Amino acid sequence: MDWIQFVLAPQIVNGLAIGVAVVLMALGLTIIFGLLDVINMAHGEFYAIGAYVAVALLGAGLTFWWALALTPLLMALIGYVTERSLIQRVFHSKDRHTLTLLLTFGIGIVLEDILKLVFGANPLRVEAPISGATEMLGLFFPNYRLFVMGLGASIIIAVWVLVFRTSLGAMVRAAAFDRQMTASLGVPVNRVYAATFAFGVALAGVSGVLLAPIYSVFPTMGRDFVLIAFSVVIIGGMGSIKGAVIAGLLLTQIQSISSLFISPVWGDPLLFGIMVLVLMWRPQGLFGRLGHA
Amino acid sequence: MHEVTSRSLGHPARALHWLAGLFFGLALVFAIVAWTVGDVFFFRLGTEALIFAGLALSVDLLLGRTGLLPLGQALFFGMGAYVSALVLKNWSSSFWIAIAVALVFSAITGLIGGLIAIRSKGVYFALISFGLAQVVSKIIFNTRELGASDGMIGVPVAQIAPGLESGQPAGFFLVVLSILFILYAGLAYLMETPFGRQLGAVRTNEQRLSFLGVDPWRTKLAAFVGAACIAGVSGALYPMLRGFVSPELMFFQVSGNAVINVIVGGTGTLIGPVYGSALLTVLRSVVGSYTAHHQIVIGILFILVVIVLPRGLIGLAAPALQERLGRREGAVRTPILHAEHPQ
Amino acid sequence: MSASPILQANELTVRFGHLVAVRDVSFNAQQGAITAVIGPNGAGKSTLFNLISGAIRPNAGQVMFQGREVTGLSPHQMLGQGLARSFQITNLFFELPVRENLRLAAQFLEQGRGLFRPVSASQIACKRVDELIEQFQLGPVADEMAGFLSHGEQRRLEIAVALASRPRLLLLDEPTQGMSHSDTHRTEALIRSLVGPSLSVLLVEHDVDLVMNLSDHVVVMHQGQKLAEGPPQVVRANPAVQAAYFGESPHD
Repeated sequence: MDWIQFVLAPQIVNGLAIGVAVVLMALGLTIIFGLLDVINMAHGEFYAIGAYVAVALLGAGLTFWWALALTPLLMALIGYVTERSLIQRVFHSKDRHTLTLLLTFGIGIVLEDILKLVFGANPLRVEAPISGATEMLGLFFPNYRLFVMGLGASIIIAVWVLVFRTSLGAMVRAAAFDRQMTASLGVPVNRVYAATFAFGVALAGVSGVLLAPIYSVFPTMGRDFVLIAFSVVIIGGMGSIKGAVIAGLLLTQIQSISSLFISPVWGDPLLFGIMVLVLMWRPQGLFGRLGHA
Repeated sequence: MHEVTSRSLGHPARALHWLAGLFFGLALVFAIVAWTVGDVFFFRLGTEALIFAGLALSVDLLLGRTGLLPLGQALFFGMGAYVSALVLKNWSSSFWIAIAVALVFSAITGLIGGLIAIRSKGVYFALISFGLAQVVSKIIFNTRELGASDGMIGVPVAQIAPGLESGQPAGFFLVVLSILFILYAGLAYLMETPFGRQLGAVRTNEQRLSFLGVDPWRTKLAAFVGAACIAGVSGALYPMLRGFVSPELMFFQVSGNAVINVIVGGTGTLIGPVYGSALLTVLRSVVGSYTAHHQIVIGILFILVVIVLPRGLIGLAAPALQERLGRREGAVRTPILHAEHPQ
Repeated sequence: MSASPILQANELTVRFGHLVAVRDVSFNAQQGAITAVIGPNGAGKSTLFNLISGAIRPNAGQVMFQGREVTGLSPHQMLGQGLARSFQITNLFFELPVRENLRLAAQFLEQGRGLFRPVSASQIACKRVDELIEQFQLGPVADEMAGFLSHGEQRRLEIAVALASRPRLLLLDEPTQGMSHSDTHRTEALIRSLVGPSLSVLLVEHDVDLVMNLSDHVVVMHQGQKLAEGPPQVVRANPAVQAAYFGESPHD
């Protein structure tokens, strides 16, 4: 009983904080895939850029809260420009899937090296804006992690509402379902696509900001993290928001709890192994696509 | 009986063979010049370029010929390097034994990896390939017996033949060049066999191929194992050249660079990736001497190629060359694909 | 016509979620004969075809081919048994020349020999290719990319590719799809000429007249079930069949 209270429960809560950030990242990825049919291999780098933008803003004297508010906007801008200027160029070719994959892969490489160039290769630390811990049920939970959980959950709910309950979301889903039809209805499909990409990138950026005080910030942080994000998206079902949420929370919990029993080095291989099994036995993942989620 | 050659299959074979001959010829010329000048640095750089050209060939076999994008091929390259280093350090300094052990090891691990990865296509395959490399490289990174993050140094020189060993810049360059030639020639020959044609068919229309009695899974698995062996043998040469191995050989950077080399050089042309590796290795070295951030340059170049020139350098040059070589049906046209019936 | 059927479908059923596409369908295809499956749109003909050719597995029922059960075999295994199919939506290797399309299919005759020898060493396959080019009058376009052929030529190539491996049963999925009248007649004659003791044909068709002219045995499907089976005249006169085809307007 003590073990549950003092070992397992904190691990679960910590896992939830990470889980929420992973879900945000996976949401961005799955939305970009669900609508644009683009595999964003640079998603990890956008996550890293989010963290670095926050670092830069903090360095410029802003508070963490300002960084948290501004970073998504800047990320959205970066995402929008990237989509309009680069991705749309290969969008209409016959080999669309391979080319966009390769293109985003190349973009990721360039972005990672730019980060190294601008910020150096050494890890940076970001101070958590909220310190201390709250006592609940006899345990102490770090306040910052509670905050991350709360904010993350709010954002996830907001995204869900946006996609499924607003006319903007309906427009986006329509464009995913049938591009030409939607275009003939007067919807500026190209801009919708760019905006969606921007949105997905912004989510990755927010994730980066939120996790910056927990993990340190270094140029290849995206490379390590993106595998988890992709695993979540694949297991949840590419294009499915519900899938990203459930799989994200579930898998981070698995990782978190399993680290009590096995060395943390095996955490990523474990997730990866689950992803491979899912791909082998149920390649469509747990749930369906964005249009029908 | 009428023979269908690669020319009519969209790869202008004569031009490609000519370009291949050109490459190996230039390499020999380079060797002679460098040897008379007594150079060491350029021989070493050239040998490294050739080693990575082998890795690029392995990627092209999968990407250009079977239609699978491997984002983790450095896995086999790095494992081949580690195996070779272990053999040379602990067992025998024979070049041949090191290569043979690496080959067998690559075949086995290639089979295991293939069984895991081949069930998937497209992006899923790419991610599994990527993930396998990430996971294994992390495991090795944390394994003290294999040198952990520092890798293993002090790999002795490999004995190739009486009087010929891997420490000799010119000699080893020629040995590696010969191996690359064998690999290239073997692959080029393979493409003209029924098996090689099956690979191409898997890429164009896998479903139909299964209705023709060919099990696409087995074909892809065979290609995967073959590619793993090519990557492993290339990797085995690395510690012979540099004297050390490290987990970085399996990192994404190496896999990524290999894919870039292939795409810039010309996917599916086999000799294109060889050219691509040579050019980009040299470019990386040159740019790298000015700044540590050569990946930005390479990355931008790659992005430009993907957007503007998806067929790569050789992919562009070969058809033009083919026409100049005088054959009538040299130009490669892109046929209209009847995706659905006209009515 | 010989007595034993070359193909027997027994109570085949296939469900896609809640939709029962094929329900308890049983029929026979005779050896050395042309059997046709017809029915209005949405009757389940293509699904039935996919079941028999190995593209999908049934939820229930069996397919017996030459007395052996072949239910649920994968497409390449089906071909090994002697069952080959063509496609309704032309499914060739468009980026490859006609010859290479045929050669890939004919390579089966080599039974795995010469897999790693030059293509020209596969004499049996190469001879077969020449045979087929002549039989299907593809000589003028033999070195063209399949994607450049006219629609009629492509449909002929579809059939030729299916035939290349010398199957015992040829499954043709709407072979005259989109063809002109003259092409359709030519194809009709061609199919007729192919059939014999070593080759039977099972085809799915929309063109009722063609079917009545061409086939020895007709199976009529409607809304996933078998409505009637028998010689063309008998089936044609069947009131239920007439109602299904001409009485109501077909809808999806």
